[in-house]
Amino acid sequence: MQLIMSDIQLTLPRVDNKVYKYINLLDFKIHNCVGCYGCWTKTPGKCVIRDDATKIYPLIAKSERLLYVTRVVYGCYDVPMKTMLERALPIQQAFIHLVKGEAHHVQRDVKQKRTTIIAYGELSQAEKVIFQQLVERNAHNMHFASVEVIFVEEEHIEVAVSKELAKWEMF
Amino acid sequence: MGNVLIINGSPRAVKSNSKQYAQLLVGYLSQPSKTMAITHRNHQKICDEMQECDDVVFVFPLYADSIPATLLQFLKYYEKYETKHTPRVHVIVNCGFIESMQNNVCLEMMKIFCQKNKLPIGSTLSIGSGEAILGTPFKVFVKLALYRFARALMKQRPKQYAVSMPLTKKIFIRASTNYWIKYGKQYGVSKAEMETMLIEQ
Repeated sequence: MQLIMSDIQLTLPRVDNKVYKYINLLDFKIHNCVGCYGCWTKTPGKCVIRDDATKIYPLIAKSERLLYVTRVVYGCYDVPMKTMLERALPIQQAFIHLVKGEAHHVQRDVKQKRTTIIAYGELSQAEKVIFQQLVERNAHNMHFASVEVIFVEEEHIEVAVSKELAKWEMF
Repeated sequence: MGNVLIINGSPRAVKSNSKQYAQLLVGYLSQPSKTMAITHRNHQKICDEMQECDDVVFVFPLYADSIPATLLQFLKYYEKYETKHTPRVHVIVNCGFIESMQNNVCLEMMKIFCQKNKLPIGSTLSIGSGEAILGTPFKVFVKLALYRFARALMKQRPKQYAVSMPLTKKIFIRASTNYWIKYGKQYGVSKAEMETMLIEQ
């Protein structure tokens, strides 16, 4: 499965819904993770907060191709994307193992992903560098087989998305 | 020496390890301090309090390799707050992994926040194995690090500290597995159940 998740409304080329699933985070009610560890220790694999995030993290787990479109602040995903990524905790186990010599959580049934992140906002060079480093760290914790970050101005987001989707059709 | 405001940025503020780190820190400070936990409703109040202090200490856990959304929301709010006072900002971040260096990217984000808001950057403390360390004999290492952190804050000599359990990774993983098995047991959930590969099923 292929998933596009954005924090901004995108007009995407019309394709069969089976080709990719599109989630505009602004259309969903997603509360903050409260760090209760319920999804690890009380109801493993399920978040105890039964809001729209429970519809989205299974899609993240199933996707083999992933496109995130997010604003970046202080070198971090902005609040909507960050909130959702935190709420995806149920797709991991509490247990820790070594990945390339570093401690990380064991994944549940999570596909390895080819990931692209389109990052936008008025960003300094330092913010870009830190965001790139963040994404590289995420690769270990979020099962990215590969990841590419594309920085764009806000007005060029849809062009960048179209280019990325064209690649998806080719490969 | 002026007032210190300690801001707990943990989403589980009341039951958080960050709260305990903050309490330990308070014990080592010789100047007046106040601790506040971020909620959705008190951003304005915390910004106001920041005008009354000389040092601010953000204490929070690493979430998805970076700043928790709860704290991020507050930082964005602060950016819009009209302010002239610029307290020095110190940071204590903890992650559950043994490698305290996994906090480094997050510390850099906090520095970017400070630079954007023209806030002087103070000391940092990066805690590894922060989920469990307070319940182990290694708590003494955290206390020592917090003592040094407090001293650097009071002397206005910013320093960078890091602390974690002094264990090999193999032993840490074994200890961490036992920690989580015990955690599940209190809810009647077995290790095998916690290891389910199913998601939302």
